[in-house]
Amino acid sequence: MTKHTAKDDHTVVTQLRSALSGPVETVLTRSRTRVRKWFAAEAPLIQWGEMSSPLGSLFAAVNQRGLCALDFGRQESEFLARFDNRARLEKDPKAVQRVLAQLREYFAGDRSTFNLPVDISQLTTFQRSVLDMACRIAPGQVWTYQRIAKELGRPRSSRPVGGALAHNPIPIVIPCHRVVASDGSLGGYSGGSGLKAKRWLLRLEGAL
Amino acid sequence: MALRFEELIERHHDEIFAYLWRLMGNDGRRDTATDVEDLTQDIFMRAYESFAVLRPDSNHRAWLYKIATLCAYTQLRRMKHRRDKLSSLKHSPTGPATASDDSSSRKYMEQRVRALVKVLPVKQKACVTLRYLQDLDYPEIAQILGCSQESARANVYHAIRHLRLALEEEK
Repeated sequence: MTKHTAKDDHTVVTQLRSALSGPVETVLTRSRTRVRKWFAAEAPLIQWGEMSSPLGSLFAAVNQRGLCALDFGRQESEFLARFDNRARLEKDPKAVQRVLAQLREYFAGDRSTFNLPVDISQLTTFQRSVLDMACRIAPGQVWTYQRIAKELGRPRSSRPVGGALAHNPIPIVIPCHRVVASDGSLGGYSGGSGLKAKRWLLRLEGAL
Repeated sequence: MALRFEELIERHHDEIFAYLWRLMGNDGRRDTATDVEDLTQDIFMRAYESFAVLRPDSNHRAWLYKIATLCAYTQLRRMKHRRDKLSSLKHSPTGPATASDDSSSRKYMEQRVRALVKVLPVKQKACVTLRYLQDLDYPEIAQILGCSQESARANVYHAIRHLRLALEEEK
């Protein structure tokens, strides 16, 4: 038997590439379409939109249940990074039209409460109960973290209350900005530019 | 921003499909094309299940290839049980009608190579497909197959050697 050379191997590789060339475009397209269809049916759909606001760019997102995320004064990529990376994200201004319309009215001083379905099902029971309590604070008023803790029957849980409010995925609509510290300071705020935004919102509502 | 699953589909569907197409020895028949379509969808479904727990800095491409390889192995082993190796060789294509007919000679050679690749051990088949048809480098192949680079190289070497010897025998 003659000794083989690298050229022989190259010939085999060439034959291999020719014999096992890839699929034709129509077959590839059919499979791609099928996988896309499956994904569209399987993955939760999140539709989002944005508007400019006195607090900077404002982003809002809705899912099948309702408004699930809102944020402002951040980059689009930062806002989108919060969602489950398996979800299907669609920029769809129409889907958030109602949300943005009510927010515009709020910023113009024509609205103080919101009439929107919200989805906070991804939070813990405690976090949800804290946010529900925050929704009971009337515009123009402020409660302390301690008061919320007491109302929940957990008077020593002021700090966990603060933690739960920091996880509010829908600031402004769920008015966590109406909760302040017992010493009269504003406490904390995780939305937009932080305390500056909290102060601005409380002024808008006449609480400061 | 972490990679989203829909981006994973857009970026890698085509190469994963082509990989499976080659690995399963697809000859362009409609029923075998459907098998590869089924397998491709199955792979993306499996990937979807575990995507949320995948570290953002992971090599998503290698991870997807790994799932594809494992699924294809299972399928190939199933097919191997069903197939009588000898009969598949007996049914190897007949020679070209005339030696001067370039097109039919090339077609014959392609069929012959496909038949030979079909009976390679699965790991050799995967290694040679990843290296020479999907153009992946050895570190990636080793990661996908969970073996050393040396092992990947050895499998490619044996596969090419087997094909070369078999084709030489026919000359």
